[in-house]
Amino acid sequence: MHWSERKGKFPVARFLFLDRDGERKLLSRNEKLETRDFSGRTLVVATLLLVLTASAPWAEEKQVSVYGPRVSYSLPVAEHNGQDYVALLEALEPFGSVSARVEGQKWKLRFNRLEADFRQNGNWGKVAGRKFGLPGPFVLESNRGLVPLRALPAILGLMLATRTEYHEAGRRLFLGGVATHFTTAARETGLSLNFSAPVNPLISTEPGKLKMTFTRDAVVASTNILRLENPLVSSVTFSESNGQAEVVVLGHVPLLAQFAADRRAIEIVPAPGVAKTAPPVAAPETAPAALGAPAVVGTVPAAVAVPPPPTLQSLAAKPLFVVMLDAGHGGDDRGALLSETLEEKAVTLAFARRLRSELQGRGISAVMSRDADVTIPIEQRAAMADAARVAIFVSLHAASQGRGVRVYTAMINSATPTPGGFVPWDTAQADYVLTSRALADLVKAELGKYEIPNSEFSAPLKPLNNVGAAAIGIELAPSGEDVASVNAGVYQQRIAAALAEAIVVGRPRVEAQR
Amino acid sequence: MTRALAIATALLLTAVLAMGVYLRILRRNERERAQNLPDTRPISAPVAGPPSHVVLYLAYDNPGAVRAQDATVALPADPAQRGREILHALLGEYVKRPSSHELPAGADVKDVFLVSGNTAVVDLTSALAEGHRSGILVETLTVASLVKTLMANLPGVTRVKILVDGQERETLAGHADLECFYDVVTMEQLLQQLQ
Repeated sequence: MHWSERKGKFPVARFLFLDRDGERKLLSRNEKLETRDFSGRTLVVATLLLVLTASAPWAEEKQVSVYGPRVSYSLPVAEHNGQDYVALLEALEPFGSVSARVEGQKWKLRFNRLEADFRQNGNWGKVAGRKFGLPGPFVLESNRGLVPLRALPAILGLMLATRTEYHEAGRRLFLGGVATHFTTAARETGLSLNFSAPVNPLISTEPGKLKMTFTRDAVVASTNILRLENPLVSSVTFSESNGQAEVVVLGHVPLLAQFAADRRAIEIVPAPGVAKTAPPVAAPETAPAALGAPAVVGTVPAAVAVPPPPTLQSLAAKPLFVVMLDAGHGGDDRGALLSETLEEKAVTLAFARRLRSELQGRGISAVMSRDADVTIPIEQRAAMADAARVAIFVSLHAASQGRGVRVYTAMINSATPTPGGFVPWDTAQADYVLTSRALADLVKAELGKYEIPNSEFSAPLKPLNNVGAAAIGIELAPSGEDVASVNAGVYQQRIAAALAEAIVVGRPRVEAQR
Repeated sequence: MTRALAIATALLLTAVLAMGVYLRILRRNERERAQNLPDTRPISAPVAGPPSHVVLYLAYDNPGAVRAQDATVALPADPAQRGREILHALLGEYVKRPSSHELPAGADVKDVFLVSGNTAVVDLTSALAEGHRSGILVETLTVASLVKTLMANLPGVTRVKILVDGQERETLAGHADLECFYDVVTMEQLLQQLQ
């Protein structure tokens, strides 16, 4: 018997068409528009685009940053009844094993061996056996427990048994006395900023202004503005807002930042070509001034020159570099049951949040296909990535078998770009698979640096074939005998850091193909 | 009737009622269990043929590999039936315990169809897919083992499509794509990685 006589036919293969406006249309194999399919998918894609745009980093999502001795991360902040709220489980995830369950109106949280109880709309909670009041009612939303942001320092302090310091205006929370102080030293040739720990700010420049944004670094200052009598730099200001710290250097000439190799010092110097035209020096060689501690003057070896900011023209020509993190499964699809209580969908979501935080800390925009326990069909995830024109798609999964991390690329033959703008849906990855493999090699190398066991395969992982961008799959496996270790905060944080580093290193190659 | 007798009678009646309820629960549980058992009845009549040498590509969960192993299987003359018997022998290795790559009871191949000379369509039982462990690697091992075994033993087959219970299925158990055709080139690349 011929198979098709009994089974009917395979679904019609779909083709993705990119028109001049970047709008995508789905055509049948015979290139006839399937009106119903087309309109439905277009609606879905348009809706997702709206959601993505709203949740994208450039939309200034409200967030709080938490700085600990071993880990720093940011959490989204939601508004309820005019107050800022934050998800408690996510806040504790980086510090250990955490789980929560709903019992009627009660939300019970277990963190390591400590327990906490909250009641929906209740104005108090019990943490580690101690009852305390909340500055606003506890909110239970889709089984996620949200606490008023102002209560977070006290709760984390109790559960982690550590000292906390909260900068409310900037939404920055410091745990265990962690802080990175810095000093400034103005000289004839520029300005040195010396930090007490390595830093990794996002740097942007405008004529006469250089801005450093610290998302993952616990940078603090004792004064907010420092005015300098210097021919190159007129002032240095420090501010905190939305979980970030900013240091803005105003100058009389265009400025450039150079990092020291150990990333503990940043040298602000005139941009090439302007140093000779700077006004004559009238100020003393060293301006004894500091925003934090007393000034320190030292030689700062120049190592990395920050490239000039992209022009409007170059921005228009090139789409934004955005990484989509696809937390596998979700909602009705729980994925693999890793242990009696641990579902794959929860592990992938927790890891995706950590990876997003690591990427954003390195100045890379990251969006998530889902940021809650919701069902998203597999193909829709690829459609979201294609519609948003992401640079890299990372499909995240977890398994109980094996050890370490397995890195996957699509099981597809490479191809040259399809002429005429038509991209077959089933083989959209073909043009990018070589870049994807190069990226996977980098991920493998970075995981090796972190001494995390790893392996690399091509695999028929859905929906990698449908993604028109560099795409890799990541499968987390336990670090040891205990399957629950796959969900351990410290372990996931190391993997996320390695992945983020690999993406930073691989960015030029990915951008070259776009 | 004395008071003691009345109490004893009441207790006995209560016990009878409780036993009746318990019996109903047991019956219901047993019925549900029987319904959920995989269908292990033979799905095709045994075929006759001379014993032939075949190569089975067996999957190993640890360390995540697919390796060739010689076997002898009674094979009929019809190529499609030969394909089915070879995969039946392969899956038989996975349903027995212990196995290098465990598949659930009832995991079997229902039919193999040869289409336009170079394409084989494999129809698997729903028990295989429904009871398959979820994970990228374990699902990839199953697919690679099936596809490579078929390609290696049926000369001319360069593309393989997998159905489950006669229907197209999105993934095997949440990860491995079953909507695509597997071709010989990409499968060879994967096999090299899974050595």
